[in-house]
Amino acid sequence: MTEFLTAQTSGTQLTISLRNDWRFDNVALLVDELESLEPGQAREITFRCGGLREFDLAGAWVLYDKSLDFEEQGYESRFEGFQAGHLKFLQNIIDVAAVNEYDPDFFNPPPRHRVRERLETVGAATNRGFEAVGHITRAIFDGVRRPTLLMVGETLRQIHETGVRAIPIVMVITFLMGIVLAYQASDQLAKFGVTIFVVDLVSNSVLREIGVLLAAVMVAGRSGSAFAAALGTMKLNEEIDALQVMGLNPNQILIAPRVLGLTLAMPFLTVFGDLAGLAGGAFICVTVLDIHWVQFYDRVASSVGMTDLWVGLIKAPFFALLIAATGTLRGMQVQGSAEELGRLTTLAVVQSIFLIIIADAFFTVLFSRMGI
Amino acid sequence: MPEACEVIPQTSTDGPRNEHVIRVRGLVNRFGRQVVHDGLNLDVRRDETLGLVGGSGTGKSVLLRSILGLHRPNAGSITVLDQEIHYRQPGPFRQWGVLFQGGALLSGLTVQENVELPIALHSNVPVDLRRELACLKIFMTGLTLDAASKYPNQLSGGMRKRAALARALALDPKILFLDEPTAGLDPIAATEFDKLISYLQKNLDLTVVMVTHDVDSLFNICDRIAVLVDRGIVVDRTERIVDNPHPWIQSYFGDPRARRARKATQNHVQRQ
Repeated sequence: MTEFLTAQTSGTQLTISLRNDWRFDNVALLVDELESLEPGQAREITFRCGGLREFDLAGAWVLYDKSLDFEEQGYESRFEGFQAGHLKFLQNIIDVAAVNEYDPDFFNPPPRHRVRERLETVGAATNRGFEAVGHITRAIFDGVRRPTLLMVGETLRQIHETGVRAIPIVMVITFLMGIVLAYQASDQLAKFGVTIFVVDLVSNSVLREIGVLLAAVMVAGRSGSAFAAALGTMKLNEEIDALQVMGLNPNQILIAPRVLGLTLAMPFLTVFGDLAGLAGGAFICVTVLDIHWVQFYDRVASSVGMTDLWVGLIKAPFFALLIAATGTLRGMQVQGSAEELGRLTTLAVVQSIFLIIIADAFFTVLFSRMGI
Repeated sequence: MPEACEVIPQTSTDGPRNEHVIRVRGLVNRFGRQVVHDGLNLDVRRDETLGLVGGSGTGKSVLLRSILGLHRPNAGSITVLDQEIHYRQPGPFRQWGVLFQGGALLSGLTVQENVELPIALHSNVPVDLRRELACLKIFMTGLTLDAASKYPNQLSGGMRKRAALARALALDPKILFLDEPTAGLDPIAATEFDKLISYLQKNLDLTVVMVTHDVDSLFNICDRIAVLVDRGIVVDRTERIVDNPHPWIQSYFGDPRARRARKATQNHVQRQ
């Protein structure tokens, strides 16, 4: 005798009297108690249901499930003494079970072939990558071949949005990086008594690497994510489909302006970054290292040339292309759910920064081989 | 198959039949200078289906959200199943199920996982049983195993509503709140959905509170209709509310479409 039932055997009869609340809250206990039932010698099993207080679908299900188990094991089982209201629940369960086949294995996935799955994923990703490059190229050609007023306006807006508005943050970051570089260099170079070379080091690294790299990373965080999120939301909202059916080419008015705008804006942004970086270096040289600013200027003029400026600047449009392509592409891949949008936006930023660094390494090796 | 036999007539074990499961007293809701509810009172009886109607801006959703503890009213008290409702405080989660207008299924989970979620959160049911109970609810709403394994965005609008209904029923609630259950469904699917709700209401002893614009639904399945007018509420039995002299109610139910729905229902009743 337990909380929810009493079992009584007489001859081949097992009578199980149910009581208390057979409802969802108690369902785990109910299963335990039903599990512990041992029919033993009995052939016929009767559930007496008159003592039930509350009864709901969950309670009805475990009861019905147990009776089916008994039937399967060769016992005869029946219910009696139901109150009208309670019987409805059991009838419901039986109705539902009669129409639908529940298959416990349905939700257990079959064993996985990890290696094959991985290879398939890589294959699919490569495929999508090529497809993507094609799409973007096509979009830009579409845009450039038949430029419309709409597209020109949109491109200008993108230049403003991704370039002009990024100037302050890029300048602050590179200015601070110039300070850091100058400090770090001065500690090391002072040991050799050649503090003046701080200027060479700062101006070279800012112009060739730091200016453009930091600007690109900032833009990837700012605009790469914005591209992916904006296009992804438009995709979810069916705005892109709407453009399509209105006869407007989404590639032309959404992707091309973003790619072109960013590609045009990036070199200018780099120039601002370079200036701020040099200013940061100069600030430390003048205030901390006792180098007069005229001296600083002369040293910069003699240590770096136009080549160094170009080495940095030439990378800017390539970085911009990578950022814009990744961002817009990931945005266009959004499908179905809000979760997907978040995932692809993150992916856009991470991948564009990754690609920037790879491209930068490539350029560095290339330039050093070329001797510039 | 086990058979059910020998039925004892129902003796009342859940207290008096006309007990009020939801009690709203003196509800006031203001947005800036705009007063939406001013001292609104509403009682919902056990096992009834109450339809909530009103023009746009009369605060149907605000009332529903206040009852669910999703909106903080400016004044008034709300009791659901003898439990006082406070804004963003735990309510009687196990006793109510809510079907939101868009379904509000979690998009990262399959239908099956969506239905299992409340069961997993609110009980220590073993995994197998949890899966069975979830499937039972999914089957009850007329979906199949195949649909259960899909993600919400792979389902049609009607199926999504059914899946959301299955989730609302996951914990065997006593009260079911429906926000525009038939909005966005074609008339055939809407009628099917009405039938489903009415079937579940009768068979699971549910109290149903339903915000709707669908006059067919109102006449088909509601026992009483609550109309939000003049910052308050007028509640009456479905067949009597149409005779209420209030101008808005007259124009609402006097509308040709509403009249047609009413007529269809009356014919249906007479045929029976």
